[in-house]
Amino acid sequence: MSTQPAAKAPASKIWEENATPRHRIQWCPGCGDYGVLSALKMALTRLELMPHEVLLIGGIGCSGQIRNYLNGNGFHGTHGGPLAYAVGVKMANPDLRVMALAGDGDTFAIGVENFVHTCRRDPEVTLIVMDNGVYGLTTGQRSPTGGLGQDQPEWSEEDPPPFSPLRLALSAGATFVAQSFSGDPKHAAEVYVEAMEHPGFAFVNDFSPCVTYNKFNTYEWFKERVEPVPADHDPSDLEAAWDLLADFRRRGRSPLGVIYRNPRKRKIYKRVPIWPQELENIDLEPMLRGFR
Amino acid sequence: MVTNRLKVLVGGVQLRDGVGTVIDLVGRIATRAGLHVLANERNYASTIYGAHQFDPLLICDEPPISHGDDEIDILVALEFDANPDAPQQPNRDTILRHGEHLKNGGVLLYDASTGTVATEAFEARGIRIFPLPARQIALRELKREVVKNMVVTGALFRLLEFDMDQTFLRAFLEERFLRKGRELVDLNLTAARRGREMVEGVLQERGWENVGFRLEPRPGRESLLFMSGTDALGMGAIQAGCRFYAGYPITPASPLLAFMDQHLYTYGGRSLQGQNERESIRAALGASLAGARAMVGSSGPGISLKVEEFGLAGTAEIPIVVVDSQRAGPSTGMPTKTEQGDLRMAVGAGHGDFPRIVLAPSTLEECYTLIVEAFDLADKYQCPVFFLTDLTLAEVRQSVPERFFQESMVRITRRGVLQEDDLRRDGFKRFRITDSGISPRIFPGTPGGIFKISGTEHDEFGFVTTDPPKRKAMLEKRMRKMETYLRENARGPQIYGDPKGRPVLVGWGSSKPVLLEARARLSQEGMEVAVVQITHLWPFPIQLVKSVLEQASPLIICEQNYSGQLADLIQERCLLPTRRILKYNGRVFYVSDIIRGVREIVRNGAAEFRVAEFMPVTVEAHEGD
Repeated sequence: MSTQPAAKAPASKIWEENATPRHRIQWCPGCGDYGVLSALKMALTRLELMPHEVLLIGGIGCSGQIRNYLNGNGFHGTHGGPLAYAVGVKMANPDLRVMALAGDGDTFAIGVENFVHTCRRDPEVTLIVMDNGVYGLTTGQRSPTGGLGQDQPEWSEEDPPPFSPLRLALSAGATFVAQSFSGDPKHAAEVYVEAMEHPGFAFVNDFSPCVTYNKFNTYEWFKERVEPVPADHDPSDLEAAWDLLADFRRRGRSPLGVIYRNPRKRKIYKRVPIWPQELENIDLEPMLRGFR
Repeated sequence: MVTNRLKVLVGGVQLRDGVGTVIDLVGRIATRAGLHVLANERNYASTIYGAHQFDPLLICDEPPISHGDDEIDILVALEFDANPDAPQQPNRDTILRHGEHLKNGGVLLYDASTGTVATEAFEARGIRIFPLPARQIALRELKREVVKNMVVTGALFRLLEFDMDQTFLRAFLEERFLRKGRELVDLNLTAARRGREMVEGVLQERGWENVGFRLEPRPGRESLLFMSGTDALGMGAIQAGCRFYAGYPITPASPLLAFMDQHLYTYGGRSLQGQNERESIRAALGASLAGARAMVGSSGPGISLKVEEFGLAGTAEIPIVVVDSQRAGPSTGMPTKTEQGDLRMAVGAGHGDFPRIVLAPSTLEECYTLIVEAFDLADKYQCPVFFLTDLTLAEVRQSVPERFFQESMVRITRRGVLQEDDLRRDGFKRFRITDSGISPRIFPGTPGGIFKISGTEHDEFGFVTTDPPKRKAMLEKRMRKMETYLRENARGPQIYGDPKGRPVLVGWGSSKPVLLEARARLSQEGMEVAVVQITHLWPFPIQLVKSVLEQASPLIICEQNYSGQLADLIQERCLLPTRRILKYNGRVFYVSDIIRGVREIVRNGAAEFRVAEFMPVTVEAHEGD
């Protein structure tokens, strides 16, 4: 894990190749996802990774487009699926650096089954959720994290209160839980670096405002309410993580930084055989034995 | 005296009475003795405990053509308790349900621990009755209830005059139990001996020399294995290079998950029990993307849940083998009963048009060989390949020559996968437009190669596009793969007999052996029919199938579903009228079903024949002539 200061160096140009040119990026001007993109490039530069070593799995929605906006292998499957694909990729080839980049609708609504169980499975995958509280691409329907901080007197089945992804992750057994804000890409880059160095599933919830469809949770709104995790917080202490979340909630604030980090002891697997010379001339005897 | 040709049916209460244990034991030991066994109706219920379960086993000198009809030579009834509906009577489910199928002159062996049964009606039919207090012996004399299975097995072996010196049984038990202690082996041998003694007592008392059936070992024959269709499929997949399997527990595909769990790790692979059906296929697609030969297995309900990913695999061009162990649908249907009702789903499920290949093996051996082809096709055409088995094929247990597996070893090629050197030379467009429709691919992590892959419509580099010419070119490129497949890889049907001017029975999947036996029996009666079995179902090989089928008179499609899914497909693709023999009551086709159907259609001009009875009876030859 990183104890050094922020990724100060600018992002390497290498991450601009094999990518959609900047003028063709289809995010609204001012979209929070730009902050995530530049923070991500900084983090990848900082970790000195090569694009061919990286697989970026995008979710469905505006945020998932990020996979095409920088270099690296990209994959884009079905709605809610990024983490499940990531589990399979990592099991087959643990040497790849796998990131899932998705929105709050993809991760916490249609893909919540995968989110919960990926927290349990703990693959070495980094998940960055670009959390804006709405389904932007489909014109702004409310997502499971929508309505954050709103004082709504009555709730209904159609209009339930938001839930906390951080609490869900802790409950589901995640080993790395952090939060960042795309209004502060340098800090976000630091958090991403720590997440990518975590030997297990690392979940970063990034507040990434939708400037078109979420007029409530704006940059200004977040700026007033985000606060770094206190320097004396011990992220390896689960109880402390819960206490921290309770304290921030009481004060109507959101923490930025690493809230929980406690790597599990992992069983080590090698890449599965994929080449003909690795697959041929196997000994059938271990299987035949049981049928005699 | 009939030697080495009999069908024994064992019935009892599920989980409690050891139906599966007795059949497994008899099947394995008969196989070791060089005999051919076939058990392809494992009738259990979708409960853990308590339902009536039965399992017929055919034992022959030579490999039987099929399981034949539902006549029984030897009926073994394992129930021992009181009838819950009438406590003064013993529970006699097996006898009540299957007694009528017991042949005249057959044998009834039943657990008499709670009393004997009124068997006058059976005795009047020349059936020999053997009451056996198996549970009482196990519990009172041997103090271990579980050895009742061995008491029954010992009794059965004595009836068949088989393994009289316990050589086979001893060797088997020593392999199984010796590491747990000699006492356990001896206890089981004693139990078997007690069963034998009980049978000998009855024989003496009734003055019978034998029961008219015996098994004779055939030493010196080539080595046989006793295995299930699922075992063969799993082994074939591993041999074909499958190194990632994912499944979610579902009958009847769970045994495949268990097999892969048990064996994949030996070969460096990994097996994942998904948290749901979608996670399973998504993880498998991820593994395939990373380079592994990947497979998922499920049954109808699970396949329905995976449908969205089929379109993704077709569009993003990710190879995946999808095993559908069909069971009776729709919805939850009948989880433990067989059907061939998913053909339409396999060829059509999903929104939009995408390439896919559908294969259906018809025997245990084909489960092994055809799955290899499935992986090669998935690799070559980078699309989902469906492998349609069914409950019958998944759970059939039979003896197979060991030689078959050793001789079927295959070479593995990873078609169209570029490596570092190729990339340096040619550059790389993941979705390059080609004449064959097949584009080059790389595994992520290859230096110099970057891909962008998406289920969204994309250009040659994989970047999203809705540009009409690009969309048209890319969709056509993908679909062109199916033309290439039809040209290079499609296989014609298996043809048995001359179809010209004759009734032709067309089938797919596990019913082929029954059609072949029906053909043989009809031939004995003087009616020559041909059998055509289609294994490569989609893209439908019109050019290879139509020329065969159009010679038929009439064309009779036999399948286990309500609507006649293959028949519809043939009508649609070949523009040929079809007649149909359909069965969808959860049971397998019997030879007599087919024969009756053929008569109805050929002699009486029926357009279709729906097998109606719960358990059809054998129709005597030339009935109604």
